[in-house]
Amino acid sequence: MIQTVRVRTNKNPTAKVYRLEGITEKQAKILAEKLFCENINQTYTINKSIFFNVIEIAYKMGVMNPEVASIIKAARDLKVNLIACDSSKEYLNKAPAFNPLIENIVKKEPTTLLIKERVGKTAVVPIREMEDKELLLLSKDKLFLNLEEMKTIQNYFQKIKRDPTDLELETLAQTWSEHCAHKTFKAKLVVDGKNKMPLIERIKKEAYKHKKNIVSAFVDNSGVMDFYDGLAINGKAETHNAPSAIEPYGGAMTGSGGVFRDIVATGQGAKCLISTDIFCLAPPNTPKNKLPAGTLPPDYILKRVVAAVRDYGNRIGIPSNNGSFHFHEDFRAKPIVLVGSYGILPRNKAEKGKPKIADLAVVIGGKTGRDGIHGATFSSAVMSEKTVKVNATAVQIGNAIEEKRTFDAILEARDKDLIRAVQDLGAGGLSSAIGEMGEKVGVTVHLEKAPLKYQGLSPWEIWVSESQERMLIVLPKKNLKEFVKICKKYNVETTEIGEFDGSKRLQVFYGKEKVGDLEMKFLYGGLPQRVMHATNVKVAPWSRSHLNIPKTKKGWINHLEKILSHGNINSKEPILRMYDHNVQGTNALHPFTGVGMDGPNDAAVIKPILDKPYGLIVSHGLNPAFTMSDPYWGSIWAASEAISNYVAVGGDYKNASLINNYIWPFPDEEWLGKLDRCVDAVCDFMKALKIPVISGKDSLSATYRGSNGFVLHSPPTLCISVFGRIPDAKKTISSDFKKIGSTIVLVGKQDLENEISYIDIKILPKVLEKIYKAIKEGQVLACHDVSEGGPITTIFEMCVGGNCGVKIKVDGKKLLSETAGCFIVEVKNEEIAKKLFKGIPYEILGKTIKDEKLMVENLFTTDIDRLQKAWSRPMMEVFG
Amino acid sequence: MKKVNVCILQSDGTNCDNELFYAFKKFGGNPQFVHINELRNRPKTLKDFRILALPGGFSYGDDVVSGKIWAIELISFLRDEIENFRKRGGLIIGICNGFQVLVRCGLLPFGNMGKMDATLAPNDSGHFECRWVDLKNEKSKCVFLKGDYGVGHFAVNHGEGKFLGNAETLKKIETQNLVVFRYVDSDGNPIQSYPENPNGSLNAIAGVTDPSGRILGLMPHPEKFVDITQYPNWRREKLIKPHGAFIFEEMINYIKENS
Repeated sequence: MIQTVRVRTNKNPTAKVYRLEGITEKQAKILAEKLFCENINQTYTINKSIFFNVIEIAYKMGVMNPEVASIIKAARDLKVNLIACDSSKEYLNKAPAFNPLIENIVKKEPTTLLIKERVGKTAVVPIREMEDKELLLLSKDKLFLNLEEMKTIQNYFQKIKRDPTDLELETLAQTWSEHCAHKTFKAKLVVDGKNKMPLIERIKKEAYKHKKNIVSAFVDNSGVMDFYDGLAINGKAETHNAPSAIEPYGGAMTGSGGVFRDIVATGQGAKCLISTDIFCLAPPNTPKNKLPAGTLPPDYILKRVVAAVRDYGNRIGIPSNNGSFHFHEDFRAKPIVLVGSYGILPRNKAEKGKPKIADLAVVIGGKTGRDGIHGATFSSAVMSEKTVKVNATAVQIGNAIEEKRTFDAILEARDKDLIRAVQDLGAGGLSSAIGEMGEKVGVTVHLEKAPLKYQGLSPWEIWVSESQERMLIVLPKKNLKEFVKICKKYNVETTEIGEFDGSKRLQVFYGKEKVGDLEMKFLYGGLPQRVMHATNVKVAPWSRSHLNIPKTKKGWINHLEKILSHGNINSKEPILRMYDHNVQGTNALHPFTGVGMDGPNDAAVIKPILDKPYGLIVSHGLNPAFTMSDPYWGSIWAASEAISNYVAVGGDYKNASLINNYIWPFPDEEWLGKLDRCVDAVCDFMKALKIPVISGKDSLSATYRGSNGFVLHSPPTLCISVFGRIPDAKKTISSDFKKIGSTIVLVGKQDLENEISYIDIKILPKVLEKIYKAIKEGQVLACHDVSEGGPITTIFEMCVGGNCGVKIKVDGKKLLSETAGCFIVEVKNEEIAKKLFKGIPYEILGKTIKDEKLMVENLFTTDIDRLQKAWSRPMMEVFG
Repeated sequence: MKKVNVCILQSDGTNCDNELFYAFKKFGGNPQFVHINELRNRPKTLKDFRILALPGGFSYGDDVVSGKIWAIELISFLRDEIENFRKRGGLIIGICNGFQVLVRCGLLPFGNMGKMDATLAPNDSGHFECRWVDLKNEKSKCVFLKGDYGVGHFAVNHGEGKFLGNAETLKKIETQNLVVFRYVDSDGNPIQSYPENPNGSLNAIAGVTDPSGRILGLMPHPEKFVDITQYPNWRREKLIKPHGAFIFEEMINYIKENS
């Protein structure tokens, strides 16, 4: 019997609906009065509707509603024991936009909320007898492996003279997926007929030449670099594009949750300090008829990804204080959702301990459900309009609080020296996490022990489920009791699911039935290295409309309004005000500063340890439109922009590390050729600046294929993130102009000759060094890096923060050049400028003035206010 | 002199506990983290503390409404413990989610644990707000904030902060001098308009005390401005003292002077 409590609110939704199973109406009344309804501004009904013309939207059965666990807990505290419950909302007359993938309209009152299914049996797949065609059929929409890989698997089972179980096939597909195995980056590469070093080897080789600050790179869930006082900092950025394309709210949430777990699952456990959120989407006003079948409207995606960061980041208490948006029509099928996070941990706990024989594999945190099944294999596949139907299970809603308490427990256990290693359960779930940890020693797993969200999962589903908020702890047996005690304190469930055993095999049981038995050697060493061919395509020069220099005063003002309202440039303040960028109290440079706290800054500076002066700086850079037209110079631009953002606030680039993320269309020969150029650019950049990439990820499935032959490649994108240390966070600077009558200087070498912006990476480090030193010596009042929109945009934003204007004299072309690696700097007077920037390219432009106007001699004069309206309006319109 | 022990109470989803710990420590307190389960299962007790602090965060995910689940837990299991703590002269502070919990417990505004008289409703803007606002304290029953501390900058970070009560409740709050902080304009006048009043709180109420003056709850975060560098404009406004400091100083002074 289900009791239904409706709590009336004064807004739309008009009511919140609670369905409660296994209790009496009297008990429902207790819950209504003490838990659900506040009689100050609400009323309630039991088993009675409030309005007739309402539409109720609920999560579909099987999609986790994060509120349920809290309701069950609070009811228990009130001595009411629920068997199951759910919550939903009622809307008057009209349903709001919702995603039918996870939500539905409730048409009939449910009679039970329990999912009752019989446990699925483990099947044996007769792979040994299959012909090529059958192998491919088996792979398609399920395993996503190619024929050579399928044949390797077939050969193996022919050799051991039995057929695999479904669980074994799933394990292989997951372990060998592009997502987990990075086959393209590891492949032998043949570019235009010539052999080249595999992409990942190239990156590693260059990175290890600059290892001064590296604690660990490319071996853990994040890259770790040295900090101060025996501490280290770690960073990671990861995309979550595929799920976000079909369910942006759940996709972006689980993207955040996943990267936070990567940070915490580094070494023996780290604390998350900060998060960055980078989105590449189609412009919100893209016409509906341009949207390919099976894709969602871009304004819906924009609102939902922002809501996801708000709801997940704010709840878990990790400040979201750095990010950006990039708009391009070609992102309308596969947008980019790229979340970064940074943490801190003791240096002597930054390395994972190796599991020893008899160590336990303990899973903690959330329960396992059917959600996220095939995430690893799915995210490696090209998207089509079928994607939504076939892979509906690949999305889920995150539960930030489950993850938060799990983190709290891990950090306490780490500090008590209980943990050997922490691994997160992300793509591939238990299969990936336990398999990887047991690779060298071997492990036996008992799947029947896994706590489930609902009954009916087959063993293979439990094994590869990607249910969020779960972590794997490798624990010496003797520490189990103490560890469980800590977890109990934080309300975190623990399950000893396996034991490392020295067998060098992966043996999986469900009760007494053995459902999987694979040699680790085959699982991790059996995947044939791919040989991949690439073609370097000559790139056409990038046409830059921005460099059409306006000819009249009016032309200038119109042009500026157009630039400033562009999606990549306009103010994102309405979004940032919904993100908690202030939690933990560590911020030393907020996203917006200035008189009205509306001037945007280039990077985040935090003081991770409140009573110490040390600073952690985080920034990033990308330019999908530019990388699309020229993968090499677009990538140099992205990296230069990232490091310039870092240095503009006072960062010392020599004490920084880089993270590279490649989001690329499916790598056929041509796209692979472009990727090859992009990786070359990253290596050249490391070499020029003598700093390493220490972490990264590739996502090579940014291609959409429609049934009618329509193909859409998202713009190939390199995102470089930068993080590093500074001994005194007080020696950093914000972008808002500070004084009237001070001198404005353009520093750095602009490229004014070419259609495309070539950055001189020989001069760049010299410029960065001078800027850093000038800020460190306290000579700089304000600094802001030049990015999209050129110096005039930079100056405009500095005026917004300073509530002042400028009077400058400069060539119009220079004002619009988008060469990254340049800076606008405010100093007291010209003498100081000459002294500070001697030996590098610079130009004194003019002075700050009290009048809030942009005055450019011989070109134009306009009110800041007018431009600010154009700059602020677009996101205000979307977010209100 | 004995140390002033401060209990920083945690639940699932508490996330402003570190900065609150730091604030009490910086001004001479001796803070300790205590998880609610440790009080429920009794390895720890409030007997060892003089100040009980409920930090901000999203206890139990703000599920149902903010602070509700935690409030039910306190009422169901720790009513006696908290009543005895109050009888011993302990001070209680709840910030943001901690304030929401105190209101939903009934401890604020009238000190009736188990009877809710006011609420903190969703912001008028309809969403979470992360911004800086100005606050001013006024003469109130609060036993430890007796001075005039002027207009100060404070961070707000919440989605449900609109202080709401019926006319009778509001009248009682005003006549009994239970309002400690209001949102104000730069001249110090109470303000109803957004975003200076970030949530639409009635009478611009940002923080209240109970009739004993020993419980303080407020939506803005004094603990996020106890160092100069925590304020966004520390580079341009040369501030001498962080604006959140006085609350912690005064709480600790009060305990020291009254024990």
